[in-house]
Amino acid sequence: MKEDLALFAVQHGSKLGADYVDARLEDHYNEIIIVANSKVQRGIINRKCGIGVRTLVDGAWGFQSTADLTKKGIRQAAKIAFKVAKASSKHVPTPAKLAPAKAYKTSYKAKVKVDLEDVAFEDKLKQIITWEKKLYTSKKIVRGIAEYTGIKIQKVFANSEGARISFSNSVAWASLKADSKRGDVTQFYDRIIGHSGGYEIFRKNDMEKIGSEVGRKAESLLKAKACKTENDAAVILDNDYAALLVHEIVGHPSEADRVLGREAAWAGTTWWAGKIGEKIGSDHLTAYDDPTINGTLGYYLYDDEGVKAERKVLIEKGVLKGHMQSRETAAVFGVKPNAGMRAITFEYIPLIRMSNTFFGEGDWKKEELIEETKHGYLISCMRHPSIDDKRYNWTISAQEAYEIKNGELTTHLRDVALTSIAPKFFKSMNAFTKRIEVLPLPGCGKGDPMQALYVGNGGPYIRGVATILGVQ
Amino acid sequence: MASILTSLREAGKTVLEIAEKKGLDEAEAYVVSNKVLTIRLANNAVFESKGVHDIGLGLRVIKGNMLGFSSTADLSKRSLKKLVDAATSTAKARKLPFKYSFPKPRKMPKVAGVYSRKLAELLSEKAVELAYDMVEASLGHSKKIVDNAGVLNVVNYETLVLNSHGVLARNRGTFFEASLNATAKRGKSVSEGSEATAGRSLRELKPKDIGEKAAEMAVSGLKSKKLKEDTYTVILDYEPAQEVIAYVSYLVSPMIAKLYYPLFLDKVGKKIASPQITLIDNPLMPNGVGSTPIDDEGTPSKKQIIINKGVLKKFVYDSFYGAIDKKKTTGNAIRTSFAVGVSSFPGKNYNGEPIPFPGNPHFKPGKWKRDEIVEETQKGLLVRRFHYTRLTNPTRGDFTSVLRMGLYHLENGEVAGALKKSRLLDNLLNLLKNVDAVSDKLVVAGSWGDYAHTPVIRTKAHVTSID
Repeated sequence: MKEDLALFAVQHGSKLGADYVDARLEDHYNEIIIVANSKVQRGIINRKCGIGVRTLVDGAWGFQSTADLTKKGIRQAAKIAFKVAKASSKHVPTPAKLAPAKAYKTSYKAKVKVDLEDVAFEDKLKQIITWEKKLYTSKKIVRGIAEYTGIKIQKVFANSEGARISFSNSVAWASLKADSKRGDVTQFYDRIIGHSGGYEIFRKNDMEKIGSEVGRKAESLLKAKACKTENDAAVILDNDYAALLVHEIVGHPSEADRVLGREAAWAGTTWWAGKIGEKIGSDHLTAYDDPTINGTLGYYLYDDEGVKAERKVLIEKGVLKGHMQSRETAAVFGVKPNAGMRAITFEYIPLIRMSNTFFGEGDWKKEELIEETKHGYLISCMRHPSIDDKRYNWTISAQEAYEIKNGELTTHLRDVALTSIAPKFFKSMNAFTKRIEVLPLPGCGKGDPMQALYVGNGGPYIRGVATILGVQ
Repeated sequence: MASILTSLREAGKTVLEIAEKKGLDEAEAYVVSNKVLTIRLANNAVFESKGVHDIGLGLRVIKGNMLGFSSTADLSKRSLKKLVDAATSTAKARKLPFKYSFPKPRKMPKVAGVYSRKLAELLSEKAVELAYDMVEASLGHSKKIVDNAGVLNVVNYETLVLNSHGVLARNRGTFFEASLNATAKRGKSVSEGSEATAGRSLRELKPKDIGEKAAEMAVSGLKSKKLKEDTYTVILDYEPAQEVIAYVSYLVSPMIAKLYYPLFLDKVGKKIASPQITLIDNPLMPNGVGSTPIDDEGTPSKKQIIINKGVLKKFVYDSFYGAIDKKKTTGNAIRTSFAVGVSSFPGKNYNGEPIPFPGNPHFKPGKWKRDEIVEETQKGLLVRRFHYTRLTNPTRGDFTSVLRMGLYHLENGEVAGALKKSRLLDNLLNLLKNVDAVSDKLVVAGSWGDYAHTPVIRTKAHVTSID
């Protein structure tokens, strides 16, 4: 990539009179393989290179992207971004301001052992066909699907305050899912393996073995007992279920743009707007967003505004401490920007997004949590969320559960979901294990036009109280 | 525009020539110019204005029984050579267990009202004013309106499909989508309302109507009561009915059914809905929000009945899924990408292989006037908006939506008052089977990039309070 093109865009936007300009010059390589029902459904390689130019003019934002990387094309993009911002400024009663941020000049790379392009596409395809085959552990498995995505991004960020940052990232993940059927009972089970890095993750993990495990799990659910509704049940959430829970009821409502009502027309708002400093959960509850964890899907060290990343404390000992911020929202809240801005490609304006959002640790062991439970449920692995617009009322289904009786796992349960009100559940969270896992969660949607992004989510095993729903 | 068309055609021809020279049996180029202008509104202001002009080429190649795909945004000859190599590499291990060939040239129909020069040439400054008109109209409707957020998306696309069989099919179109979410406040009571629509021409864009309707719904919810959990007779107004159409449309895609949502997979020829429900896909509808003379493989569009009086008649096909199921393409190839981390804008996208989808689906209008359906409902609910709708069990059809706003209690054929936020929790097949009234008029409704022509329907559903 011609890195000076980003600088050229910034200089041209500034010359036009913009108060602030930034540009993201990006080169994307993306490969997708989908194998289902023993057939290759998709085998795709995409390449895209271009630049997105963002301007702030009289307090209004303008943005234009282009894949035309001639100087003429970039000048045109900067001109449109300036013009539309200028036109918008008439209808911005409170002009946007940017909280100060240091202008970094740096370069960094995600750790990659096996470059995605160094493994022949044909070889990857053959491997994924094998993974999918392993899902069919018996005739009860009626459908299988293996999906693989690999993405490489070279990114150069420049802004009119002197920042110049280049980032070479690589992410990869694969999901394996099996559908099972016996009589009228249909079930499914899935798992996702993924990270920031190269193809080595699929050598480190025995994907064929995981495929067989997924198939057997889907089979075993056919024999599991349908769950019955029980109000205010003691529940222990595993890392995987906690990952979706923290995503939906901590991550999204922690996006400062959402707190300010800027997502009201789409995803909604946040019940805890205006409650920073207030106690919203138990003393055991702490939650973070941290992009700096190497190897996670949400890894980065500088966001798409050039702000240096850090661990953000969202909730600490039950007190709402802060939100994920852009430079602009940080100015509104009167806080330091904390590197929350990302866009999926140069074609999109950055938004405040989760990176790796997770519940903090406690001092329990998983076995102790179960042993100390007289009657309750172990809720395992996320399935589908359905959350209200304020992230207040939530219902999230799980892939499976086990009834706990007198400290022991007993009946295997299927068709299970939990429901509660966020503050009620936060107050009920009374034990967290020491061991945390941050898991891959590819497929977080936000914005208009929609940006589907990959993030990390997770936490420890957690005990709390919620209504368990039999969803039959 | 002529110069863009010329360069797209040249790129398409060049890549086919390169593919032929490299000994590939067949090649197909799908070349796109897609302009999207987005004006986002928040906090009663224009929050951000942004544009993308996406130009690129998606290439499919066939060698023997192998199929490959790759795409690029760089249309230089050097890049196109690399593109052919990449598509060939994806084909190497993708051996198809059936015979597959790209579509042959066919005569293209014409569809009126899918391209508007005025919309295509709309200046960004004017778009900003039109978007802000929605806010002004909402604020002007009532002093109780305290906040507005929304969007105006304007899309202008041009595509070309070229393949080795001689297909050279040009398609162009424009559309907009406009939506506003208004918040009303009186004392401690806060209520939301929204309105959203889409169209193919500038004359259909009526921002003041959108602003006023959103405000009216918001104000109407200020005095609301808590709903009692029960199974209700439920009137799904235009927007929620559109979401039902959207889910049914997903389910009749063989790709979606085989890979993700198998609810209808074994149900062709079976009764899946009430006799009141007929689902038609008509991409030839003049001025239709999803109308198009050809699909994204260059196959002519056609009108077809998918569900006839409650019986599922067929799935819709592109050429690939048609070949898998030994069916002919029904002209329903749509290029989009569900992939994470990949751009997928309103309009046309070149970075994905075709997926079969209904292009312009709608329920056949019934005999009822919308008002008559309300008047003939002794006790029930009027649902004007769905939010966060999910098919939570895609095998069994568990279906849920948050009734975030626009929920009313009906008594003796009249709206008896607004209800607080609730959740519909039922099964999609039950909803479809219990439909007993369909209104006589189609209205464009939807949200967040997904719109259709839809009537109002009445059914039964389990609803619980969540406020």
